Amino acid sequence: MSTPVVVRDLRKRYGSIEAVRGVNFSVAAGEILGLLGPNGAGKTTTVECLVGLREADAGTIEVGGVDVRRQPAEARQRLGVALQSTALPDQITPRESLRLFGAFYRDPLAPEVLLARFGLEDKAEAAYATLSGGQRQKLALALAFVNRPEVVVLDEPTTGLDVHARHELHSEIRRLRDDGCAVVLTTHQLAEAEALCDRVAIIDRGTIVAEGAPDSLRASAGAAQSVALRASRALPPDLVAGLNEVLSPAQAGERLTFRTRDVTRAVPEVMRRVAAAGLEVRELEVRESSLEETFLRLTRDTEGRS
Amino acid sequence: MNAWREHFLISLRLHFRNRLALLYGYLFPLVFLVAFWVLYRHEKVPLLRHMGELLTVTILGGACFGLPTTLVGERERGVWRRYRLTPVPTWVIVTSTVLARYVIIVTAALLQLGLALAVGMTMPEHPAALLVAFTMAAFAFIGLGLVIAALADNVPAVQALGQCIFLPMLIIGGVAVPLGSLPEWAQHVSAFFPGRYAVDALQAGVNGGGFAVIRFNLAALALIGGAAVLAGVALFRWDVQQRFLPGAGKAWLAPVLAAWLTVGLLAEQRGRVKVAPPVSDPATAVSVAPPAVVPAAVSTPAPLPVPPPVLPPPPPKPQPAWTKITAEDIAKLDFNVPPDQGIVAPIAAEDEEPYDFMIEQVNGVRDKLPAWGPGAEADDVQAVRNILCVAAVPDAIQLPVERFLPRVAFERLQDLYPKDKLVQILTYIALHPEDGIVLDNINDLGIEGAAGDPMQVRERVYLYAIKFVARLTDRFKRPGN
Repeated sequence: MSTPVVVRDLRKRYGSIEAVRGVNFSVAAGEILGLLGPNGAGKTTTVECLVGLREADAGTIEVGGVDVRRQPAEARQRLGVALQSTALPDQITPRESLRLFGAFYRDPLAPEVLLARFGLEDKAEAAYATLSGGQRQKLALALAFVNRPEVVVLDEPTTGLDVHARHELHSEIRRLRDDGCAVVLTTHQLAEAEALCDRVAIIDRGTIVAEGAPDSLRASAGAAQSVALRASRALPPDLVAGLNEVLSPAQAGERLTFRTRDVTRAVPEVMRRVAAAGLEVRELEVRESSLEETFLRLTRDTEGRS
Repeated sequence: MNAWREHFLISLRLHFRNRLALLYGYLFPLVFLVAFWVLYRHEKVPLLRHMGELLTVTILGGACFGLPTTLVGERERGVWRRYRLTPVPTWVIVTSTVLARYVIIVTAALLQLGLALAVGMTMPEHPAALLVAFTMAAFAFIGLGLVIAALADNVPAVQALGQCIFLPMLIIGGVAVPLGSLPEWAQHVSAFFPGRYAVDALQAGVNGGGFAVIRFNLAALALIGGAAVLAGVALFRWDVQQRFLPGAGKAWLAPVLAAWLTVGLLAEQRGRVKVAPPVSDPATAVSVAPPAVVPAAVSTPAPLPVPPPVLPPPPPKPQPAWTKITAEDIAKLDFNVPPDQGIVAPIAAEDEEPYDFMIEQVNGVRDKLPAWGPGAEADDVQAVRNILCVAAVPDAIQLPVERFLPRVAFERLQDLYPKDKLVQILTYIALHPEDGIVLDNINDLGIEGAAGDPMQVRERVYLYAIKFVARLTDRFKRPGN
């Protein structure tokens, strides 16, 4: 079986701005790929090209082995999409909308099956306008699934949902993966990406700047650890001066945070200096960099380069 | 085809669930109908002569407001963007939306027609022609609705653009105001709007010549509709973000405007623009009358009883038909006419004085009437009908002086004919409202303006004939009795 999603050297320009300049990625069956990136990085354009809402200028996009640019209708038969901006008419019911969208495909699932699967049976006959945010997102997901897709693209699927609804949706998305779907999802929430994605690709300035499993991505992006310290009183301003192991220190009153690649040397030295200044250490935390920090560093670095 | 059917059905279902859409789609046409009915409540067959206008307003409302409001509203919400993610082709969604709208408009029209029939309108004479005219008009206006939907970025913009098409067509396009009562420049302008072709074609199906007389109108609507649908589909936008491109967009508006222009120019070239039916043309009406033989210079104002100057028909000629009118015939007249103080066929009360500016007009007519050619026709029936026109024409034009001229005409008739004979002639005229010729204007009596619509003048002639018979035969009920 061919790889469900293949994107090669995708390019798209709006006037003089090249929004996407050579994006490459692929997603295997039963895999969740998270697309991350700051606003304006080319993430949305990449997704819109992938689902056929925008025409790419150059590159190859395949969904389920079908060229999206050459056979868009055929590709859409294999693609399920839940976009953030999707809305339905106020008066339509979940059952009607599933039936309607089902009619657009060759081999649809019955509305009853989807209503049961996404826990919408109670609301099957309710007008769309009366559904909660979480119910609407579930319906959007159910609609994305109406055509038994090989590939599902979810654009910010949990934005605006409360913790409970987000949790429910996460388990739904994992189920899609376990059923053998290739899932591409974009998100602003790094915790979500970390919890949900098998692989993460970070897009910045129109290209993928890093790609890999959340863990290995963190490791490769400097492998630094974060240290946070709180002293009994305000720390002297030149506390970490001349310490090569301490990276990007930030000091405010009795608090100090920094990164380091060598905890065993950096931390004892900082402790010694605190004691020398006649202060006590009240709190000390050492932890691995989060994906968020990795993300920020990567995107900040590209900014610095240009 | 499953996709098409499902979308068509859901479009209809959602329409019937939307209270606001129902209000605009069904209540408004009925409100218009009632307004027209009240406005023209004394026409012999209620609403018959206004169905073209009413149905056009219904189509305009559904096609130029309802359709783009739905389309743009759904596009704004992202519904269409969602459709686009499915393999369903654009044309499926567009045609099913358009056909659902056609069904909605047809049901609104049927409701309107039903109510009109309920208040006494007669069945349309050419149902097939009416249906075809209705469909073509709907096609033309739905096309414009698609263009509006493409141009408008949001629902308020639809309202604004819709009004830009709706209002001019209503007022100077011959849709709400009869073309005959518009100035000539407006009649020319209206030739470039599709509204009048829709009104004409629909009216021809209701009480006109049917297919035979609407070929040009149908072709005009087809051309305007075809160009609009083409532009509407070319400019179709799935997405709010898909901005209307000024350059390419303007190019696609060209065929739409070209169609309007072509239709207008063709109409001008074929002389179809001016609305002045030959019957009501004053020149024709007068030329039919042989040179009037006005007996003696009776220029004195009416009060003195002047002996009837028109001699009875010479014996060898067969007795004219009106002489056979009997008291029974007179009793059969429908004396249930609008009140003298109303707006249709009014007659000023005897103690009512005209304003100063009207006195001159009333006296002018009274002075000129005895020497007035049409009033001295050899045919008594036509002569009386012409004098009735002195009352009827100002009423049809709705001149302020309309209330005072009927008395002048009545006095003149009483001067000309003995009472019994006058009753017989008036009754004959009332029983044969379609006969003879009616005047379009009485300019030669110093009253400016033209009625434009001979049917209206005929109707007023009929009403005044009955009112005069009532007065002459003591059936006239004075207010307060």
